Amino acid sequence: MTLGAVVIALVLGATRHPFVQYLRPVGEFYVAILQMCVLPFLLATIPLAVRSAVMSGTAGHVVRSLITMLAGTIVVVALIGVLVPTAVFHLFALDDHTLATIGALVGGSSDRMDVEFAIGTALAEPAKQFGQTGLLAVVPTNIFAALSGNDSVRVLIFAAIFGIGMVVSERHSGVSVFGALRHIQQVCILIFDWFNLLVPIGIVALIAPQVALLGSEVYVVLALFSYAFLGSSLLVLGGVVVFTASSLRMGLRAVSTSLLRPIMLGAATRNSLVCIPLALETMTKDLQVPREPCELYIPLGFATIRVGTILYFTVATIFVGTLLGHTFGVWDLALIAGLSIIASFATLGVTGIAALAPLAIVLRPLGLPYEIAVPLLSIVDPIAFMIRVMINVAVNCLIPALATGRRSPVLDPALVPAE
Amino acid sequence: MGALFRSLGCMIFATLLAGGQGASAAETRDLQSIVDDGVLRVAMTRFDLPAFHQKRPDGSVVGLEADLARALGQALNVKVVLNADYGSFDGVADAVASGSADIGLSKLSQTYYRVLHVRFSQPYVTLHHALLYDRVALADTAKGRAPDDVLRNFHGKIGVIAKSAYVDFGHRNFPEAQIVPVGTWDDVVLALKEHRVEAIYRDEFEIRRVLKNNPALNVQFGAAIVTDQKAFLSIAICDTCSKLQQFIDYHLSEYPKAYTVDQLLNLASQH
Repeated sequence: MTLGAVVIALVLGATRHPFVQYLRPVGEFYVAILQMCVLPFLLATIPLAVRSAVMSGTAGHVVRSLITMLAGTIVVVALIGVLVPTAVFHLFALDDHTLATIGALVGGSSDRMDVEFAIGTALAEPAKQFGQTGLLAVVPTNIFAALSGNDSVRVLIFAAIFGIGMVVSERHSGVSVFGALRHIQQVCILIFDWFNLLVPIGIVALIAPQVALLGSEVYVVLALFSYAFLGSSLLVLGGVVVFTASSLRMGLRAVSTSLLRPIMLGAATRNSLVCIPLALETMTKDLQVPREPCELYIPLGFATIRVGTILYFTVATIFVGTLLGHTFGVWDLALIAGLSIIASFATLGVTGIAALAPLAIVLRPLGLPYEIAVPLLSIVDPIAFMIRVMINVAVNCLIPALATGRRSPVLDPALVPAE
Repeated sequence: MGALFRSLGCMIFATLLAGGQGASAAETRDLQSIVDDGVLRVAMTRFDLPAFHQKRPDGSVVGLEADLARALGQALNVKVVLNADYGSFDGVADAVASGSADIGLSKLSQTYYRVLHVRFSQPYVTLHHALLYDRVALADTAKGRAPDDVLRNFHGKIGVIAKSAYVDFGHRNFPEAQIVPVGTWDDVVLALKEHRVEAIYRDEFEIRRVLKNNPALNVQFGAAIVTDQKAFLSIAICDTCSKLQQFIDYHLSEYPKAYTVDQLLNLASQH
């Protein structure tokens, strides 16, 4: 049904009928009602996951396993991000006509200047900051402000620390509110189950208007970049399905059908956080991954590990270099991969076009201009944004599967069929 | 013999007197003398300045400066002679300073050297200074710094038109850069394309015109506007012509025309 909804959305969007734009408010309403329960769900789930991990005594092992698999996966994704576009741009060179058309896109209207600056330093504007970055971006100095401002990363950090505190307090005093938290979690899951019935409608309402707005001509010009990014993305998504199936000893078809729902919800909403409840349900119920590592990792991973951005930054850097006739050696490619990983953390709390700003962290050390990247990438950003979220959802679902494999029927009687 | 010497002496004295009177006439040339002569002599550059003045195949000169010169002639009720024969911007200013022309109209900016020798009207067009820079060369120099910081303290080679105000502007605004005067604007742009210079310096209209005429250059070269430096394009007026300056300023105030860069680009493409 999910795949059917995607096909309908693409077809409807391609027709560019004026009616399609009236679907946009329906889609935005759907995203809003999904977001409604995300923060309460996270505030309940994270402390429960921490408690579960501590009580089972496997917290250390689970966390080590998750971190190891996460680090390995990020490195693999970054490598795909540098190798695939290198191959694509090597095989398909840019011709003069394409360069001229790309130049026209970069130039845009005659009002556009790449840089504005003052000779007199008194008039010079202070260097633009990317906002709070690094640790400052995640420290919840005021949890209530973070909740009201929908600052999910800070809420997650608070929930994790508070959860640890609750476990320690429970051990000392015996007083516990985990039962109430469990109830809150179940209520949120129930509400999500109701809303999940509307996922196909949400997918159509969100994707169709977006497709209708896309101008196909610009993608023809930026075809090379699109091929490289789409090719890399398909490789990553395919790898997720294969490795998930391998870890869980399940068929490829079953795994891909299960993962399709949270991935397409991510593509439709362009919001990883609203996919958390569906992803948890998919991983624990459909794919039988142990609940503990899923509840521990998936909320944090969805909010903080932006694998899609790592892939995007690597491909974008190599594309810009290719445009300017720059050739990359092995060390350059390794530097691109490393800087892209670092730059992806600088996008925490930022979405859309603004998330392109940290690309400067990757481009400038390589002697590449950032000013040419923004006008080009902003053209493909509508579709690239969707793909980045799809990859975030898919890869972050993969991590707990790799770390712990499938739930054992010996350890989980719920999996033993009744005789 | 004595009479011969006396005659020769008178002739020499008369010649000197006539020359001195002529010199005095040139020194005191102003609005009334232009009206009496019935002609306003306008100096312009030999090379075209699209949107400002351009020679058509039939020999006529079009552009906003040509229109302005004709409007002034009409206001003075005199004939206008456009002498587009000067090979440089400084050449136009020098022509006005020497008295060969009454006014000079060729996107002239005020510089200290020019102000010493000619008067200037109020500006008829104001443009920001701008640079067209080699993106890769700048990024290599930047070593991770933002481009505006690099440009502000530029150390590389900046190409400018020889004998133009931008030679002075370049030395003043980019003291650590090497200013490379090159013949014509086309030569300057070619120097950039051939990587003989890392940036070229002129007004924002000309920089944007380069990119508009050849959009592919946007990939390799970036445009930077200098927000606190402006080119006040004014009419050069003979140094003694205080009344003429007053007249021209009055005309520019009566018929103000504020040209945006987009409008100038459209004008350039029309002609």
